[in-house]
Amino acid sequence: MNIEEYISSGILEQYALGELSQAEMAEVQELIEAHPQIKAELDLITSTLETLALKTAINPPTRLKNAIKAELDLEKEAKEIQLQQIKKEKSFSYAVAASISVAILASALAFFFYGQWRSAENQLEVLIAQNQEVADNYEFVNQQLKNLENDVDVLANPAYTRVAMSGTDNSPESLATVYWNANTEEVYLKIQNLRTLSQSEQYQLWAIVDGVPVDMGVFDSESNLLKMKSVGSAAAFAVTIEPRGGSENPSLQTMQVLGTTEV
Amino acid sequence: MRIQESELVRLLVSKDEKGFEYLYSNYSAALYGVISRVVTDQDIADELLQDAFLKIYNKIDSFDSSKGKLFTWMLNLSRNLAIDKLRSKEMSQRRKSEQVGDSVYKLDRETTSSPENAIGVRELLDQLDENQKQVMELVYFGGFTQAEAAEELSLPLGTVKTRVRSALIYFRKTLDVR
Repeated sequence: MNIEEYISSGILEQYALGELSQAEMAEVQELIEAHPQIKAELDLITSTLETLALKTAINPPTRLKNAIKAELDLEKEAKEIQLQQIKKEKSFSYAVAASISVAILASALAFFFYGQWRSAENQLEVLIAQNQEVADNYEFVNQQLKNLENDVDVLANPAYTRVAMSGTDNSPESLATVYWNANTEEVYLKIQNLRTLSQSEQYQLWAIVDGVPVDMGVFDSESNLLKMKSVGSAAAFAVTIEPRGGSENPSLQTMQVLGTTEV
Repeated sequence: MRIQESELVRLLVSKDEKGFEYLYSNYSAALYGVISRVVTDQDIADELLQDAFLKIYNKIDSFDSSKGKLFTWMLNLSRNLAIDKLRSKEMSQRRKSEQVGDSVYKLDRETTSSPENAIGVRELLDQLDENQKQVMELVYFGGFTQAEAAEELSLPLGTVKTRVRSALIYFRKTLDVR
């Protein structure tokens, strides 16, 4: 069992708030005894609930104290009286009554358990659905994590030169960064700020090699690190807006960002 | 004076007056606060605090310290008495969430007498974000179970549980609970 998942499911809060059935409570108790970490978490939860109760306490009216004190003694006496009043009774129809009771009880139990079964079926369906949803979320997060790990590998690798491309007069706010490994010729792009384009347009990255713009691939405004085409030497990188699919030659008047590789 | 829990239980079982004095001076206000917010009517709250003490004394034999702390046990016992009362015929009009919101705050420091170190519900809940606050009003102070709160707010139970948990973790940190 994954203890962290168990703790974050919120079941210990339900336990502490007294919301669980007897059977569920017994399960939680077993786990508490088996895992000190669960016990420690439950202690924190109950202590928090206790602290909240103390912090939001209200003084009862002073007269209540004596009333309660008096009643506590009365209660004691009442018990004794009750005890004396208990009498033994025997009856001829005892067996008849008992068998009728058993029949009624059995019917009631059958009906009760049928209801329990139905509700368990429903709960199971809900749980299966929830489980699927959790699994999907996990898969998604896992994928995100893998992407991020790849990103971090590139960002932290000293072989990559960081080329910051700042906004041109067309778009002074724009900002994007190229990570370029001259040895392996790999190029990655990270968008910091580029405006959203219409469906018919796409961004295109260019490398300036010996004064000539070389196509490095098209992209949409995404937040992840993008792998672009490879290039061995480049004096500068730039991004232009082109018709969807890209162009052979850059439309310089649409240039958004530009950065040179010289340090 | 501080009495250890095991000693306090012993005093309660033996109906020693010292036990009652200690219990009352240390916990009655906390229990009364919990009860009052659920039922809101002062006369009923008074009656329920008496019932709670009776029940504590009657059931102290069955209190099992291996399953939790005495104070938590008493809090849940009192809260359950109040909730049962709320659902009884006498008070059969079930409150809607908006009314719970009102009643949770109605009994705050300005209107009631509180022990010195009390903060007050409003100041506590105002520290939470709106989502957590809404759920905590119902669950902690309003006497809803989390399942009922989920139904009331038309939220998945999992969401309600997450919010309760995150709110409690927030208080754990800010109230320096250890």
